[in-house]
Amino acid sequence: MSKETMTRPIHKKAEPRNWGNTALAILFLAIMLFPVYWMINASLQPNGATVDTTWLPLNPDFTGYLTAIREQGPNLVTSLVISLGSVLLSLAIAAPAAYALAYFKVKGAGVVLFAILISQMIPGIVVANALYTAYNDLGLLNSIPGLILADSAHGIPFAILIIRAFMNGLPSSVIEAAKVDGAGHLRAFFSIVIPLSRNSLITAGLFTFLFAWSDFLFALTLTTTEAVRPVTLGIFQYIGAYVNDWSSVMATAVLASIPAIILLVAAQKYIAAGTSSGAVK
Amino acid sequence: MSLAADLSPSKAQSRQHGPAVDQAPLVPRRRNRHRKERLFQWLFLVPAVVYMALFFGYPVVKNVIMSFQDYTTATFFTGEAPWVGVQNYVTVLSSSLFSTSLLNTALFTIGSILGQFVIGLALAIFFQRKFPLNGILRSLLLLPWLLPLIVSSAVWRWILDKDSGALNRFLGDLNIIETGVPWLTSTSLALIAVVGVNIWIGIPFNLTILYGGLQEIPDELYEAGSLDGATGWKAFRYITWPMLKPVVSVVLVLGVVYTLKVLDIILGLTNGGPANSTQTIATQSYALSFQEFKFGEGAALGNVLVIISLVFAVLYLRASRRAVDE
Amino acid sequence: MKSAFTRNRPLATAVTALVGLPLLLAGCGASSGSAGSENVTEISVMDYYNNEPDKSFIGDALNSCAAEAGVTLKRETVPGKSLISKVLQQSSSKTLPDVLMLDNPDLQQIAATGALAPLSDFKVSTEDFAPGVLSAGTYKDKVYGLAPTVNTIALFYNKDILAKAGVTPPATWDELEAAAAKLTEGDQYGLAFNANPTYEGTWQFLPLMWSNGGDEKNINTPETTQALQLWTDLVKDGSVSSSALNWTQADVNDQFLAGKAAMMVNGPWQIPALSKQPSLQYGVVKIPVREAGQTAVAPLGGEVWTVPQTGNKARQAKAAEIVSCLNSDKNQMSMAKARNTIPSKTSLAETFAKENPKLATFTELVKTARARTGQLGDGWPAQATKIYTAIQAALTGSASPGDALKQAQGQ
Repeated sequence: MSKETMTRPIHKKAEPRNWGNTALAILFLAIMLFPVYWMINASLQPNGATVDTTWLPLNPDFTGYLTAIREQGPNLVTSLVISLGSVLLSLAIAAPAAYALAYFKVKGAGVVLFAILISQMIPGIVVANALYTAYNDLGLLNSIPGLILADSAHGIPFAILIIRAFMNGLPSSVIEAAKVDGAGHLRAFFSIVIPLSRNSLITAGLFTFLFAWSDFLFALTLTTTEAVRPVTLGIFQYIGAYVNDWSSVMATAVLASIPAIILLVAAQKYIAAGTSSGAVK
Repeated sequence: MSLAADLSPSKAQSRQHGPAVDQAPLVPRRRNRHRKERLFQWLFLVPAVVYMALFFGYPVVKNVIMSFQDYTTATFFTGEAPWVGVQNYVTVLSSSLFSTSLLNTALFTIGSILGQFVIGLALAIFFQRKFPLNGILRSLLLLPWLLPLIVSSAVWRWILDKDSGALNRFLGDLNIIETGVPWLTSTSLALIAVVGVNIWIGIPFNLTILYGGLQEIPDELYEAGSLDGATGWKAFRYITWPMLKPVVSVVLVLGVVYTLKVLDIILGLTNGGPANSTQTIATQSYALSFQEFKFGEGAALGNVLVIISLVFAVLYLRASRRAVDE
Repeated sequence: MKSAFTRNRPLATAVTALVGLPLLLAGCGASSGSAGSENVTEISVMDYYNNEPDKSFIGDALNSCAAEAGVTLKRETVPGKSLISKVLQQSSSKTLPDVLMLDNPDLQQIAATGALAPLSDFKVSTEDFAPGVLSAGTYKDKVYGLAPTVNTIALFYNKDILAKAGVTPPATWDELEAAAAKLTEGDQYGLAFNANPTYEGTWQFLPLMWSNGGDEKNINTPETTQALQLWTDLVKDGSVSSSALNWTQADVNDQFLAGKAAMMVNGPWQIPALSKQPSLQYGVVKIPVREAGQTAVAPLGGEVWTVPQTGNKARQAKAAEIVSCLNSDKNQMSMAKARNTIPSKTSLAETFAKENPKLATFTELVKTARARTGQLGDGWPAQATKIYTAIQAALTGSASPGDALKQAQGQ
């Protein structure tokens, strides 16, 4: 690692056309994403052949894609709605809590923080089993709000911890100054804290999205019909007790990744924009 | 500041507040304002506390109770489960498989965290450089997280297959190996292979959060530091690392907590085999509950895992609090 | 409160009151309804045929039976591995479906909980079913579930590869070892089977164990040791890839399809995939026995249909009609043909074998096939775990077959 990587003055007088680094990043990306390539390759193999897969899909077979497009479209939309809903709910609950835990000297804050940490140690199946009964009684089974609430069980505690960790880096003088100016807690929160924490909110939001997107357990436990079915569960249409249709499984996974990756790239752009504008510092 | 540091000052603070409240009757108006202020502060926390109680409190308590019962499939239907005290704990802790699972869990967690964190941090620092396509490439690194685990574990099983897997074919073409390496079917390699796949899954998490943490460090610090001669390694040691500490704490603590309970990846890749060489406490607890239907024992073992997690968290937080104090 | 957990434990109730009150209270008044005379118009069904083409085959049969009973269907299909946890959740919240499909080795486990109704309550006929099928569906002398069609496993062989090597399909263990060794060449293995650490690995081992007189109640016997020795030798000789330790039956089939294995142990559900590759000529024989003259005993596979105790007699009666209808001669024959499985009534077997020669070996085997839970009932899962634990220990070389079985049995 060169000296420059350690420090960041490069930020200011950056050499914007540093393609050497880009090449290095692409090389690493190629290694990291080889399994993703292999998934795409497998999705194009005839009959979902899983043995002796050729390095390149020279005779691509699109049967899996046709099946996936025909059957998984609505599930994809469901997944997106639930994941975005979970991001909104998680941030709405986590951001104020993180702020309170980072700045207020509330009695019991330590306990709350520790409880949140403990919650992350609980196996998902334990939560899912308990939720089924409650959801059944409340009529929340097979509903999008029900799944948003449940999927946020991954996102909320995580987002609180992450946002709080980042907020610790915020100079409290800024908030104090705002208060001196007569801003109440709410105004200080919305007009100072939120904009300043933009990066951490996006990072937390990103992972909340990914948690909800990849959830299988809650989707499986809390649905009993095909009415509301996220794509992770939809994929199981091709995994049977006896035989599997791997080309459809892989094709669905490929198709489902596309809208999600677009969202992620957009979110990252947003982070970059926020940083370079310098508003934060 | 780490989680620990935060746990302690707030407690200390509340202790300081205590006497203030006691004296309050002398100054009623101040007391009122103080109360209103505190109420207001709590409002920020209330939604989160309520949510946590509903979605975690109840399941946890239920699981703890279950671990002290002879909880079988019949219990689900009849609701009857005799109390057996600590019998379930005795059974699972004295099982010959427990020590194997414990060791595997430790190796799996340490290996995964070391790999994920070191590679994640190195990449996060690397991506601080400005170069074309930086943002897009960084986002694409999150792709592994978009794949359902059933898909990534199936793909990895094909890649790691002894006879026709891509990895062995690649190594064979380079003449590094002569016969297929039994990545997933050798008792000495399977755990390494599973750790490798888990590192692959964990890198995006570490990279993204550490990157975010690095972005938060004000440039002014580096500028000031460079005037004092802190550049390169020194800048990292005296500016980057201390400033990144809170984020590092969260990444490590959450990383360990998440890794300890990893289930699907191991089940998908090896199912705990061959010959239990990748059996961890999490997979063992799952097997007890959902394959052998010994729910009481499964819950007990699950709770043992939570306690291990807890002990780690407390020790880590203590240690870093001490580091802060010094 | 409806949850099993809150029903009779004061501490639990107290805690629920503290943390779960708002969520749970809402449901207290709800009841699953128990009026016996209501007019049943809809029946709920849960099964694990979640992928095509089985999903539609079973769906069609269910729909026609529902139409016959004058009701409509509300069907839920869940991934195979999650069926049991789903059943348990539903049984604790008293939301079990009216008709429930279970994999046959799970039946006794669920019947033991009291969640299922004996089919005799509804006068469902159990005549003429193969003994193995009935034993799988029986718990404490009462039949709780019936399987319209069943399956088992046998030895598939690639006709072209065997002919080229001048090998005839093996009938004894010695022949199997010799054939597998001869057929192993380059990147082609003589045989593929599944010895993974799941119940599937146990299932594939049972034909050897049972045909040789081994017994699941005690696996630490010479008979079972001999059987495990065979599996171990095949892997040690290199006639079977050590990947068998991690393969599923689906993987085994992929190996066979790709020509990487000349023979394989598998079931008739692979036939559609095999037929898709017209260049592949394959035959099916019984899994070899140790000595000529021993009877091949195969394990019984397949799913049974049950009527859960939902507390509503009228609905249960309708559900029983559907279970009965699924098991009618006509449905058994058509489902067996469509799904490459075997009708479970012995009187149908002969006609079926004649009409479906590719399934003849399986039809033959099913007549005497043995249910996994026949002896141990709900004790089967624990013993099945011991069996695959021993297989894994022996095949990885961590212990000799004898020691592996002894250790596993002692656990």
